[in-house]
Amino acid sequence: MQTNLLSKVTNATPSKMSDKIDHPQLCKWLNAVSISRDKKSFTELFHFFAPKIQRIARNKFPNEAQASEVVQETMSNVWRKAHLFNQDKGAATTWVYTIMRNVTFDMLRKIKGNREDNLSDDIWPIAESMVSDTESFDDHLENKQLLTVIEKLPEVQQQVVKGFYFMEMSQEQLAVHLNLPLGTIKSRLRLALAKLKVQLGEEHD
Amino acid sequence: MIKHHPKFELIQSFVNGELPASLSAGIAVHAEMCPKCSQIISQLTEQVAETSFEINMLDNVISEDNRTSLKFNELSETEINTESMIDLITDSNDTFKVEPELVKTITLNNKPYTLPNALKNMPLSKTLHMGKLSRARIQLNENEIHTSLLKIEPGGAVPQHTHKGFELTLLLEGSFNDENGEYVKGDFIMLDGTHTHNPVSTEGCLCFTVANDALHFTKGINKLLNPIGTFIY
Repeated sequence: MQTNLLSKVTNATPSKMSDKIDHPQLCKWLNAVSISRDKKSFTELFHFFAPKIQRIARNKFPNEAQASEVVQETMSNVWRKAHLFNQDKGAATTWVYTIMRNVTFDMLRKIKGNREDNLSDDIWPIAESMVSDTESFDDHLENKQLLTVIEKLPEVQQQVVKGFYFMEMSQEQLAVHLNLPLGTIKSRLRLALAKLKVQLGEEHD
Repeated sequence: MIKHHPKFELIQSFVNGELPASLSAGIAVHAEMCPKCSQIISQLTEQVAETSFEINMLDNVISEDNRTSLKFNELSETEINTESMIDLITDSNDTFKVEPELVKTITLNNKPYTLPNALKNMPLSKTLHMGKLSRARIQLNENEIHTSLLKIEPGGAVPQHTHKGFELTLLLEGSFNDENGEYVKGDFIMLDGTHTHNPVSTEGCLCFTVANDALHFTKGINKLLNPIGTFIY
C-alpha cells in the first residue's frame, strides 16, 4: 500500500501535484458552456469537479450509487445553469460548491425525511448574485431585441446606426466611409434614434 | 439594531449544509437582515469551496483510506460511466429559467406580511390560538425538531420557561423583551436548557421558532401549563 501510494505521487504530473486552482481557466470553461454550450469545456469542468464531488459526497451518503447521483445532479445543474454564473460575484468553485451543497441537502432530506420539497435553493440562492445576473441576462436579450428593431429601419439609417454603435465609428469616419456629407450622417442618426426610441418604448410596454 | 447572531460554529455547519432545514432557514433569514453575518457566510463559503476542490495532491494521499477516489480515477468501468454521464448531461438543451420571484404573504395585525424567501415554500399548518399567542407549525418533518411561526399580540407574553433541548427564536417583525433586555427584528436568539426566560411583547411580534423539545414552564401557576408547553414551540 505504502509503495503504491508513493509511486502514485511520483507519477503525478506537475499540474496534479499543484493544489492551486486555476480560477481564470474554470471561469473560461463555464463561460464557454454558458455562451456557446461548449461540450469540450464542459468535459474539462467535469473532469475537474466530478471526482472531487464524488469523494465529498461519498462521505455523506452510504453508497457509491448515491454519491454518483450527486455528481450527475450537480454537473447537470452546472450545464443547465451556467448562464447564471457571474464571475464578478465570486469564484467558479464557490458557485459549483453551492450547487453541490444544495443538491446534497435536498437529497439527504429526501432520504431522511422522505420529503421532496427541494428547499435548498430558497435557503441558499444559487446566485445571491441573481439580481445582477438577471441584469446581464436581460442586457443580452436587450441587444437582441435592439437588433431586430434596427433591422426594421430604412437601409440608409441602418448603415449609420450599425456603424456608429456596433462598429464604433465616429460620425466623421462614417461620412468618409459612406461618402456622404457629415450633416446627412447626423440627421440620419437623429432620425433613426427617434424611431428606435418609439419602437423600443412600445415593445417595453 | 441586531445584537444577537448565530455562533460561528453554527454558521460553519450552515455553510457545510449540515444543519436541518429549520435551522438552516433560520440562519438564512437572519443573514438576509444582517449584512455582517451575510458577509461572514459568503467569505466562509468561498473558503470552504476552495478547500473542497483544491485537493488534487491530497486526493492521492487520502485515497489510502478512501478508495473511492482511486476507484473513480482508475477503474476503466467508471471512466465509461464518466463519458456516458457527460453525454447524457450535454444532450439536454434546456437551460434553467429564472422563475419570477414567488411571494407568500400571511396576515399580521390585519396587514399582509411577506414571508422571507427561505420560508416561502414551506407548508404551514392551521393556526392555533391561545390568548394572545397564536402559532402555525411549519411542516418540515424533522422528527423531534418543531418549527413554527409564533405570533404574540401586543401585550402578550410567553410564561417563564426553560427548555430541555434548544430553542431558537428569530424575530421576523416587531420586538419583545425578556430578563436580558430588548430584542428587535433580525435578532437570532438561541437558548438551551441553562436559560430561563419570560418574553413579553408590548408592541406585538412575529417569530420564527425552532425547538427540539417542549417548553418547560418553571414558575408557580404556569407549571400547570406544562402539558401545553408543546403548544407554543
